[in-house]
Amino acid sequence: MKLSALREIKSSLGRYMAILAIIALGVGFFSGVRITTPTMVYNMNGFLQEGQLYDYRLLSTIGWEKSDVEDLASQPDVRACEGAYSADILCTDRDGKNEYVFKAHSLTENVNKIKLTSGRMPESPDECLLDAKMGGMKNSDMEGSSVIRIKDSNEQETIGMFRYRKYKVVGYCYSPLYINFERGTTSIGTGSVSGFMYVMPEAFRSKAYSEIYVRFDEDETIYSEGYKDYMDAHEDLWERITREHADARYERLVSDAEEKIADGTRKLEDNRSEGEKKLSDAEQELAEARKTLDETSQQLAAAKEQIDSGRAELEKMKQQLGEAAAAQLAEQEAVLDASEEEYEKGLAEYQKGEDDYASGLETYNSNKQNFDSRIADAEREIADARDAVASLKKPETFLMGRGTNIGVACFENDSDIVAQVAKVFPIFFILVAALVCMTTMSRMVEEQRTQIGVFKALGYSNGSIMGRLMFYSGSAAVIGAAAGYAVGTMLFPRVIWMTYQLMYVDLEMKYMFDVKLAVISGAVSLLCSVGTTWASCRYELSETAASLMRPKAPKAGKRVLLERIPFIWKRLRFLVKVSVRNIFRYKKRFFMMILGISGCTALLLTGFGIKDSVAGFADVQYGEVFVTDADMIFDPEDGKLPESVEKLLAEHTAEHKLLRECSWDLVTKDKTKSITLEVPENYDGMDSFVRMNTADGEPVPVPKSGEAVVSRSLEERYGVHTGDTITLRDDKLNELHLKVIGVFRNHVYNYVFTCPETFTEQLGTAPEFNGAFMNFAEGTDEFKEAAAIAGDKAVKNVTVYSELKERMRKTMSSLDYVVLLVIVSAAGLAFIVIYNLTNINITERLREIATIKVLGFFRSETSAYVLRENIALTAIGTLVGLGLGILLHRFVMGQIVVDMVSFSVRILPLSYVYSVVLTFVFNFLVDLVMENKLERINMAESLKTID
Amino acid sequence: MSAFVEFRNVKKTYRTGEVEIEALRDVSFEIGKGEFCVIVGASGAGKTTILNILGGMDTLTSGSAKLDGVDISQLTKKQLTAYRRYDVGFVFQFYNLVQNLTALENVELAAQICKDPLDAEKVLEQVGLAERMKNFPAQLSGGEQQRVAIARALAKNPKLLLCDEPTGALDYNTGKSVLKLLQDTCRNNGMTVVVITHNSALAAMADRIITVKSGMVESMRLNDEIVDVEQIEW
Repeated sequence: MKLSALREIKSSLGRYMAILAIIALGVGFFSGVRITTPTMVYNMNGFLQEGQLYDYRLLSTIGWEKSDVEDLASQPDVRACEGAYSADILCTDRDGKNEYVFKAHSLTENVNKIKLTSGRMPESPDECLLDAKMGGMKNSDMEGSSVIRIKDSNEQETIGMFRYRKYKVVGYCYSPLYINFERGTTSIGTGSVSGFMYVMPEAFRSKAYSEIYVRFDEDETIYSEGYKDYMDAHEDLWERITREHADARYERLVSDAEEKIADGTRKLEDNRSEGEKKLSDAEQELAEARKTLDETSQQLAAAKEQIDSGRAELEKMKQQLGEAAAAQLAEQEAVLDASEEEYEKGLAEYQKGEDDYASGLETYNSNKQNFDSRIADAEREIADARDAVASLKKPETFLMGRGTNIGVACFENDSDIVAQVAKVFPIFFILVAALVCMTTMSRMVEEQRTQIGVFKALGYSNGSIMGRLMFYSGSAAVIGAAAGYAVGTMLFPRVIWMTYQLMYVDLEMKYMFDVKLAVISGAVSLLCSVGTTWASCRYELSETAASLMRPKAPKAGKRVLLERIPFIWKRLRFLVKVSVRNIFRYKKRFFMMILGISGCTALLLTGFGIKDSVAGFADVQYGEVFVTDADMIFDPEDGKLPESVEKLLAEHTAEHKLLRECSWDLVTKDKTKSITLEVPENYDGMDSFVRMNTADGEPVPVPKSGEAVVSRSLEERYGVHTGDTITLRDDKLNELHLKVIGVFRNHVYNYVFTCPETFTEQLGTAPEFNGAFMNFAEGTDEFKEAAAIAGDKAVKNVTVYSELKERMRKTMSSLDYVVLLVIVSAAGLAFIVIYNLTNINITERLREIATIKVLGFFRSETSAYVLRENIALTAIGTLVGLGLGILLHRFVMGQIVVDMVSFSVRILPLSYVYSVVLTFVFNFLVDLVMENKLERINMAESLKTID
Repeated sequence: MSAFVEFRNVKKTYRTGEVEIEALRDVSFEIGKGEFCVIVGASGAGKTTILNILGGMDTLTSGSAKLDGVDISQLTKKQLTAYRRYDVGFVFQFYNLVQNLTALENVELAAQICKDPLDAEKVLEQVGLAERMKNFPAQLSGGEQQRVAIARALAKNPKLLLCDEPTGALDYNTGKSVLKLLQDTCRNNGMTVVVITHNSALAAMADRIITVKSGMVESMRLNDEIVDVEQIEW
């Protein structure tokens, strides 16, 4: 029995392979698509695990201290806890030619471990590692630049955070903090971060850590329920301790500052009294000196008087006494002269004393002034410090989980797209596989009718006869399932990952074996094959051996409905009539063929449609809806457009429209959703900035006071319809109640448009314009113009829409390979189904074909006789498939939900053409193979007995 | 009468893997135009091989086979198809009607590929099936089906009518009436008919009887006492 089963396989290898292949394809697609998301998550998890990505990132507006880190590290369940520095810094490469904004991080030892891609770790504080993204960039000047310099134009405070002004690049690395290509935004430079850079902690000069990274003692898979539960269990405690530590640090900072102020005050007081004493001493000294000087001056005056009187007396005596007393007088005169000389000396001394005094007084005065101003300064400083302490705000803390990391969050969404698609397609493939197995096996049972009868007559039990057939289909299913599973699970994640690789770190997709999936695949394919075998031979086996050995009466011919319409029927060529009748003769085969072919077309159409919809939404959004060249956000000056901006707008744009753009919450019954509220100054000529049209292309009405038009995403996801009244709330709890008068086509973000009067009426103030749509003049370089406007201080941000469009398009290109996979699979499906059914068709009609060959049909006529039916069925199948495809496409697009984006569900005409043409090409390829098979049919078959 | 069909030293060997089977060792015979010829022989004697070669369904290994002066052994595949198409009509043991076509359509199927076909309906009338033209094969008895098959072969207006055990699947009386039809066709239309059978009783009704044994022609003779079909018994 076993031998005969093996021989059976050998003799009908084509049929065996067909079952094997369809099962392999079904299982391959099913398991491949199913395992892709888990494999991607598994490998990403591996990378993050290796790098020990943080579980919590603790931020505080006042930073952290070493003691905080030490303290947090001693909490239960903490595996690693490290403080880190980070700063955005504007740098240039060696020649200063290009400018980059780096996000500089300090290296951490046990969390967020980086992975070197080239070079070595920094060994001294003036060495750094750069983003591997920059090392790999082609034509990048950063390549080969072994030094980066911090630009002087950075804020002084930022420069102060770094110990050195230039860093030597010693290697490139990946960081678990940046698994996706987004590096984030920054307030400096161009506004976007070019890459990250890692330095040793010693390279920073900050006193406080910027952040603390905590890694718990767990190894749960990211995104898993287990991880979520684990983190939920820790959240409350950590919220609290984060708060407490920040508060404690705040208290410490305040008390330290107060202590310092007290110290300062005390010291100031000491200084003041000391200074004052010194000054008063000096003053006293000066007063004494004055007194002495005054006395001296008096004495001198007295002496002068004495001398003068002496001299007068002497003159008098000279005249009285005459010559006789001359000698005596001379003596007296000499005494007088000496006195006078002494007086002169004394006077000179006095003069000097006066000078000394004057300079002393000057010194004193300047000292006093100095002292006063210094005291005043110190007092002011202390007052400032007091103010500072007073104004030192209570710190805000942020306990950030992994979900706040852009890369981690994006990866969850992106990888999930495949999982969404995985929900639909595989079922379809399995269904087709089951149907193919069924038709094939029932054909086989039919063919082996006599043989079954013989076995039965020989006394074999029903079980062993069925077992033989089940072995046939079951072994094909097992081999097919194994092969399909192996190839599918190996190939799909790799191919799909290739697309993600553009956006994520370069990871090798390690193979992941999922026992559950393998068992399900095996079970489903066994059910498909063995189950259908049982279903198709159950009936035959219930017949008696004798009746089995009699040939089964051939299926009677029947007229088809079309014949009842002689108008058409008469016009058909004879052979066409034959085909028409044959097509409708075998109902099962007809439906199978239609299902297979329509499935192929539907898959193709869906595949191309996904591409159209996804590739197209950016084109539609920025080519048909937001047609404006750019927009900008500025800081209003006293509620008005700053003059400098007004001037720039006049100079650099052809036209612009001012608007108030702000984020409000749409409040519905059970949830709130953040939307962008746009209030343009007016709606005149709005068409050259934003074209608000309904899905049918009709323009929506212009909202008047209290009215609004909303983007379609709000209708789709939040059930906001024309005629509804919506409530919007801002962060200050102001509320707007707007009547929706129109829903416009829009694909990115959620918008509500209203008019300024709404603000005036409902909030009591006119809206403060903070942005503008801008259109540049024809022929100007929009990037240059945008840059010129962005240069102004008041301008916060300028977005050029063509750039935005390009970026979105790039992001969405990840689906390209998914589409390719769908197309290849559809081709496989079509090929197997058409091949198998045509094969059955031919074997079933071997006699008939042999007969017409004997009748003298030429090769081409014979092929046409059989394959015309295929072409007709393909045509019908394709038509049905187009209908199915539209539905399937709609369904799949409904599953692919990307936040903030609603795709334009559309299929371009060319995609219909591609789908139809490809289906026919697959059919044609099968026909080529089949033609050879027809050619090989031996005409002697026609002479054989019916078996 | 010049030979209409002529086999000269025809040899046919089949190869199945290592084994060589000599189906025809050395066959030579001839059949005149308008003759009713019966080739008779036991199972495995080689009569089907002769039919295959004569019908253009198989090639020969050596020797020559001619129909109306054309050497079949020299024809290309495509020419062989054309030969089958225009020159030969077949009647099979199991009728080989296309189940999905009515009696009339089965005849038309053959007629519409020929250069000079007979009218399908008329031929069916001739074989006595005027009433059943619109029926599908499944609705016809075995004899009726074989009549359709004969009509199909005749409608092609061939030079030669080849019949492979035409009564093999039919009961005695029906078989007889089919044979009668073949004989009448030969007599009335001047059609050359070759009937292949293992039933030597049929030889009595033939103009020419060729006996085949072990891949050789054992005897070939013209029948001097042609018996009417009704009188034959087996």
